Amino acid sequence: MVIARNLDRVFAGGLAALEALNFEIARGAFVAIVGPSGCGKSTLLRIVAGLLEPTGGELVVKRNADAAGREAVPAFVFQDPTLLPWRRVDGNTSLPLELQRLPRAEIRQRVADALQLVGLEHYAHLFPRQLSGGMRMRASIARALVTSPELLLMDEPFAALDEISRQHLNEEILSLWRRNRWTCLFVTHSVHEAVFLSQRVLVMSPRPGRIVADIDVPFDYPRHHELRTAQEFSLIAAEISASLR
Amino acid sequence: MSKNGLPKLLATILPPLGFFGLFLLLWHLAVTFFRIEPFLLPGPIPVAKAVSTHFHPLLNAARLTATGALGGFALSLLVGFLVALLFSQSRLIERSLYPYAIFLQTVPIVALAPLIILWIGHGMWGVIAVSFILSVFPVIANTTTGLTAVHADLRDLFALNDASALQVMVKLQIPNAVPYFLDGARISCGLAVIGAIVGEFFAGYGAEDFGLGYLIILTNAQTKTDYLFACILFSTLLGLSFFAVVGLARQRILLRWRGESDH
Repeated sequence: MVIARNLDRVFAGGLAALEALNFEIARGAFVAIVGPSGCGKSTLLRIVAGLLEPTGGELVVKRNADAAGREAVPAFVFQDPTLLPWRRVDGNTSLPLELQRLPRAEIRQRVADALQLVGLEHYAHLFPRQLSGGMRMRASIARALVTSPELLLMDEPFAALDEISRQHLNEEILSLWRRNRWTCLFVTHSVHEAVFLSQRVLVMSPRPGRIVADIDVPFDYPRHHELRTAQEFSLIAAEISASLR
Repeated sequence: MSKNGLPKLLATILPPLGFFGLFLLLWHLAVTFFRIEPFLLPGPIPVAKAVSTHFHPLLNAARLTATGALGGFALSLLVGFLVALLFSQSRLIERSLYPYAIFLQTVPIVALAPLIILWIGHGMWGVIAVSFILSVFPVIANTTTGLTAVHADLRDLFALNDASALQVMVKLQIPNAVPYFLDGARISCGLAVIGAIVGEFFAGYGAEDFGLGYLIILTNAQTKTDYLFACILFSTLLGLSFFAVVGLARQRILLRWRGESDH
């Protein structure tokens, strides 16, 4: 689904953000990317999304087209919910479909489905300011899922939430992924979050970002809260932490 | 009005009214105690009498000045918004033209007003033009900020979904700029009234019709200081009315953006 070969990104002024990245991500996989601040995790995600161009190497993102010939657009969940304050929850959720000029009836149906997926169907008429932090993030996830993406890119989406909300949303995102099986690239600072969510963790070095470890997470799904206290879980988390040093 | 709307309104209005009453009392006492000549500083009672005696000419002048200010303000909102839209489309355009927009803010309007009247002619259009020049800059500056200060992630979201430039403008930039535009309008409306009065210093509406600006010049020249104070009072009330109406409209529209907590 996503293949990077010797991928480089140098910013204007000569600042090297990424250097010689090589990885392959299979369709339907859940892969976490961890690394220290400024190591280029977000830059990598933006390159995969097509928002930035690599300055060297090659990146291939295989996209399928729908019946109308439209190529699937990757969906992006940002660190902040970045909802439009003047739009209600349903209006925020419908935004990507409006931009893609889908028929109104289809938009209405897909928005209702997406809000139901994230448990916000009874809050569609509220403005973002009337929601809690966790609900805002769910609305942001609904906005990403409404396009039925093949590829979901998440850039530290739960970093600003309290630990309880974060763990709840971790479990919800896994449940959504198991039902829909989009390919997911999940950037996080939290080693425990990466291990709990993903099948595989890519560990990046400080700038310029390189992949210093590619660690499999062998736990079966569904994963429950108890996994976080299992010994094997701690061992993998320790291995990732050691790679980060 | 909400359940506690009236007490809230009274709590807003009573303190400044109380202060105004105290100010009138001190003014009266000062004029009486120091025996100040009425042509230098009339007391509040002669000013009230002047208002009563000249009420109709004052009201008619205020109506004309309000019309000129309203015209200038409306033109400022429209032109200011369009110029800001132009500025927001390209940094080069903004950099090239912004200094000329600042010129409108910094030029001494009293020096420029006679020229404008000379070019546009006497009458309402001349007054509207001066009012517009004085009041357009806050709308341009604030709206440009609102159109360009869009969250980078939202720009990315629009780019990701192949949004057209028109979609970015209509669905993102313009709604984002509304609170900024309204803040600009709130500053601009007071300036529009000042601009109309300054315009009337130099432009009349005809032999029978005159605005507050002309009355101020006339009463000053004739040393009718009590009447001059009445003109100043009407000018102030006119400015306050503009400010109150625009402020209320702003608060009402911003409910959608910021909720009940905004004031």
